[in-house]
Amino acid sequence: MSTATIAVERAEAELAEVEERSARLCELGQAGGAEQAEVCGQRTRSRSARFEKGELRLGKASDATALGLRVFDAGRLGFGHTNQTDGAALERTADAARELAALTPPDDANGLPEGGGDPTPVELWRADTAALGVDEALEQGARFVERMSSRDPRIRIDEATFTVGRSSTAVVNSLGTRVGAGDAWASFGALVMAVDGDDVGGFHSAWELVRDLAGLEASLERCADELTEVALGNLGAGSAESYRGQVLFSPTAFLEAVVSPIVSAASAIAVQRGRSSLAGRLGERIAHEGLSIHDDPSDPELSGAAGFDREGQPTVRRTLVGAGRLESLLYNGYAARVDGVASTGHAVGGPRSVPGLGSHGICVDPGDGGEEEDLLDALGKGLWIRRFAGTVDPISGDFSGVAKGARWIEGGRVARPVRETLVSGNAFELAGAIVALGSQSERCRGSERLPAALIDGVSVTAG
Amino acid sequence: MIDEPDPTDLLQEVLDQAGDGFVELRSHRKRTRGLAVEKGRVDNARTSEHTGVGVRVLVDGAWGFASTDRLEADAVRESLEQARRVARASRPATRQPDLPPVELARGRFDAPGVEETLERPVDEALELVLGLERAASEASTSVQSAHCSYNEVFEEKGVVTSDGARAWTRLVRPELSVGAVAARDGELQRGYEAVGSTGGWECLFRRRTGEALAERAAKTAVDLLAAAHPEGGRKKVLLSPSLVGLLTHEAIGHTVEADFVSAGSCAAGMLGERVASELVTLCDSGRSELVDGAGGTIDVDDEGVEAGRCVIIDQGRLVSYLHDRASAARYETAPTGNARAWEYGDAPLIRMRNTYIEPGQHTLEELIARTDDGLLLDGCANGQADANGEFMFGTREAYPIRNGQLGPLMRGANISGVAFDVLKTVDGVGDAFRWDLGAGHCGKGQPAKVDAGGPWLSCEVLVGGRQA
Repeated sequence: MSTATIAVERAEAELAEVEERSARLCELGQAGGAEQAEVCGQRTRSRSARFEKGELRLGKASDATALGLRVFDAGRLGFGHTNQTDGAALERTADAARELAALTPPDDANGLPEGGGDPTPVELWRADTAALGVDEALEQGARFVERMSSRDPRIRIDEATFTVGRSSTAVVNSLGTRVGAGDAWASFGALVMAVDGDDVGGFHSAWELVRDLAGLEASLERCADELTEVALGNLGAGSAESYRGQVLFSPTAFLEAVVSPIVSAASAIAVQRGRSSLAGRLGERIAHEGLSIHDDPSDPELSGAAGFDREGQPTVRRTLVGAGRLESLLYNGYAARVDGVASTGHAVGGPRSVPGLGSHGICVDPGDGGEEEDLLDALGKGLWIRRFAGTVDPISGDFSGVAKGARWIEGGRVARPVRETLVSGNAFELAGAIVALGSQSERCRGSERLPAALIDGVSVTAG
Repeated sequence: MIDEPDPTDLLQEVLDQAGDGFVELRSHRKRTRGLAVEKGRVDNARTSEHTGVGVRVLVDGAWGFASTDRLEADAVRESLEQARRVARASRPATRQPDLPPVELARGRFDAPGVEETLERPVDEALELVLGLERAASEASTSVQSAHCSYNEVFEEKGVVTSDGARAWTRLVRPELSVGAVAARDGELQRGYEAVGSTGGWECLFRRRTGEALAERAAKTAVDLLAAAHPEGGRKKVLLSPSLVGLLTHEAIGHTVEADFVSAGSCAAGMLGERVASELVTLCDSGRSELVDGAGGTIDVDDEGVEAGRCVIIDQGRLVSYLHDRASAARYETAPTGNARAWEYGDAPLIRMRNTYIEPGQHTLEELIARTDDGLLLDGCANGQADANGEFMFGTREAYPIRNGQLGPLMRGANISGVAFDVLKTVDGVGDAFRWDLGAGHCGKGQPAKVDAGGPWLSCEVLVGGRQA
């Protein structure tokens, strides 16, 4: 039998075991009298190689189980998690969850989501990926490090990891939901800097996740290219100029400073609890007409892709902001009950915690701003920020932080790298001040897709 | 006294039959209780149990690591064999030399507050969070949402190594946070207070009551509605103990972690050099120095080394890096007890514990009075450090100082600087000390519970305010 065939058989057995254990704990949750019970179970296997200073530091094998039980009794909530699978541990977990439910005050929106239907088909499982072991992690990790260090002797790899993993996840509840799926991936990333004599450049980090091994080589190459290009470019950093005006954000920086607060504010619970700046604005224009933000759980190239959510509800692609208008909010079962609507399949989290509410894979439509050089031309003179290291308040939308991997642009060309440069602004205001969006959406951190964005009205403070 | 079996008995049984080579077995039982309330609704009422054994081996100069969630001798033996297989499959270009002998911890180490917290009924904690959320909500008509959360983490670890460590440690870390969101004319602002400690509730509320935290969170949220943004630029600032804590952690602590030094951080080659004002003595300790209850306290690190105090900067001179056993061997020095693993499935990394600047001689009033033009900054948000020494961290509140007088509240802004350059600008150190990183955690591939603090500090940094 091939290793892929063995992996398939093992994975099928693992998933069946996770479903059975989840079902058992769910029964125990109800056995003590709870009205409703739900269990999320997961079995994860990972093999990884960690490199420091460009050399192998540690090979690691990890196999872990997690079971999380949520019970509702007369609208009261209790939750218990364990990584132990013996009968005594499961009973202890069920008792603990029910004891908590006996203490908490009732909430009429508490309860399991009803209906929903079958999981959405999403191709997360690949037998060849699932069959990878520690030898492949060590080998691919060494190749990843070699790719970077061979580019230039000034490159220093503080840390790099290469991990192969697979998981089996199930959600079982007392209303009859019983869904399960397997996932397999390879993930890698590094923290890289360049050193030239006494000149220590700022570090750059990037992380990627691949499910289809056919895309592994290209992804490794792209990640190595980005890390080394930015790290080398950080050498010889000088000063920027202080001003308020246009700044070019890389896709990652655009996500962190501007898009993330909008997505947080589009959470129905944030609206219901009075901590969303988008409350009461459904259907209104909240951003530049070129901005469209979607959540896409069906894209297997994004790490958060899933056919069902943390409550077992099917997931669907959803437009949050369409042509600058707020089109919809994200709902899990709880928020849906509060508003009297159906869950949108946005319960998130793992077995170790109560289901939360959030996105699976944020995608922003590209615009017509052209390629990177076109956006730099449009900026003319000012700051190009590659990574944002700072604080973003998702409630007020205020952000402030250091522009990392930043370049000072003059005449539409890179004049010099800069350091000690801070940027600040308000995400909700700046969403309306977008000048141009790049013509290509890039995958960021293996989990989102966005274009670069040229935005006006940003405060830049140079050291 | 709660009667628990010694987890090192099982580990020692496996170790005794483990054969040759370096072996480190670490059991970790982590139990958590958590409660969260927002706008009168309980969002989280949770218990968690996460238990297992991490096995690390050194075979022919290569490390291997594996873990099991079963606390049984057979399962630990299987993990030991798996760790050895992983190590044999690894062929590092540079072999890790055998670890030199060091003094390793043996015995039982119980942090204060464990029994008290374990025996405290959960309904007391529930009553606390419900009451504090209500207090924050009712503090002002401008407050339209409030939340309160409480977590306590009980950790029991056993560490045995083939070169002599056999330590059993227990501790508890409670954390509490209160937040409020105030609204006016469509604008939202947030106030947030958090405390965390190693110890019982007496430690947790040693400086401020829960009610004081709720009141402060609500007041900050309301006051920020009318507050302006400070202007950006390089400025003289007075940093509060919480921000001094972030400064020590982000600006200095990370750059002196020996793994980061080896990769080329700005602290490389600087031992013995003057890197700060002579007013600055900066340390990292596994103990809660000066004041009880620091959140990053550990008696023994995850390699079995007792976690004492390490002076990093002594009156302005860099005198030590932070080490685990392997880096200490490379640098031909003693390990500093900084090897920490988040959970049993994590291998130990070099991490900080409680990082701080020692107090000086000035009162806060004196520091304000001698500032002609600057900002008093308080309230910490997240932070980050870079290889070149450039750091940043967020502040939530700012007060202008003109001619020695404090002005009205302004909104916080991120501040930045280059680590050692900023410490050279220190021209005043306060006399009152506190641990004040609240419920802070550090991220470096895996989380670590850390604390940091110090006195009020006068120095120059870059403030990322708004431009006209």
